Amino acid sequence: MEDTLLKDLWKAQDKKLDQAMKLNVYLLESLQKQKAESKLNSLARFKGRAVFLGILWVLFLAVLVYGNQLKNMYFTVSVSLIIVFTILAIIVYIKHIALIKELDYSKPITDTQKKLSRLQASTFNTRFLLLQTPFYTTWFWSTEMINGMGMKFWLISVPITLAFTVLAVWVYKNLTLENMHKKWVRKLVNSTPEHTSVFKAIDFLNEIEEFKKG
Amino acid sequence: MQNNKEEFLSRLQEQQLIIYKICNSYCKNEYDRADLAQEITYQLWRSYSHFKGDVKFSTWMYRVALNVAITFYRKTKTSEAVIQLTEPATDPEDKKEDGSELEKNINTLQQFINELKELDKALMILYLEEKSYAEIAEILGITETNVATRISRAKDKLKQKFSTLNN
Repeated sequence: MEDTLLKDLWKAQDKKLDQAMKLNVYLLESLQKQKAESKLNSLARFKGRAVFLGILWVLFLAVLVYGNQLKNMYFTVSVSLIIVFTILAIIVYIKHIALIKELDYSKPITDTQKKLSRLQASTFNTRFLLLQTPFYTTWFWSTEMINGMGMKFWLISVPITLAFTVLAVWVYKNLTLENMHKKWVRKLVNSTPEHTSVFKAIDFLNEIEEFKKG
Repeated sequence: MQNNKEEFLSRLQEQQLIIYKICNSYCKNEYDRADLAQEITYQLWRSYSHFKGDVKFSTWMYRVALNVAITFYRKTKTSEAVIQLTEPATDPEDKKEDGSELEKNINTLQQFINELKELDKALMILYLEEKSYAEIAEILGITETNVATRISRAKDKLKQKFSTLNN
């Protein structure tokens, strides 16, 4: 089949297309209002909700720390560090939202789609949150508890915290895009609510790379 | 602002058909097609204030329309798969009426384009829209050599498809 024939076939479908949508200023204005809930903004909305919940969490913890009035240093230090981690995650998510809002659809397709896919796969950028896990095993410590438990404290509580620390650091180091081929990494990502979009984004990033290679 | 809107709409009106062709190639059901056409129009209008004229209006428009279509397609792909299970891909009535050679060939071409991956689909649409290799490369952000190689591969596959159909 000749090239011109292919192009003629493509043109021939013009008359089959529905052209009912007549553009006018009124329609454009109503579109502007309606598209505040644009499908393309769903990622920004998801991250926006996470920021909102993160702020609530920080406020709740801050009230607890303030209420504690430094009575228990273990509690104050642990919860304060959890607050720091959450604030850092909120900052990362706000940066993502800004990047989504700045996304330029008029740039070359492979460039825009790459940026978008990277943003969708950006769950990995907040994996540092794993490092706060050990503090969830120390916030309830107190001098009374340490004295009361005696050796049991050093034989049970401390090893648990150490185990969580080692595990958190190890998972943090290994949970990377480069390790996505490993079964346990995929299983772990699978357990997050964003997993489908993360996998799709990673697959599409690979597809773009292949496409650019030719 | 009003003048800007009028100018945008008149430029868009001239190129309107391409929006429908893109929607038709990226969405299988009517509801999604209408939704995508609105989304593209909205994103074009949003980006219009940043249009500096450093590239041709059509190049700029293809970039926005195809970027939106690909993003939209990737978001709605799952729901489309469900719809396909419950709705036949082609209307049996259409098959009876579309007996002509031309209709058969148009359907084969459309089916071929539908089966392509998102980026290859964009490439094929631009090729069929008679864009030069240089412009296709500029829209997609790849080299001209890559454009030529990919188009040649796609055409070979398409020719095979047509020859199987005719034999």
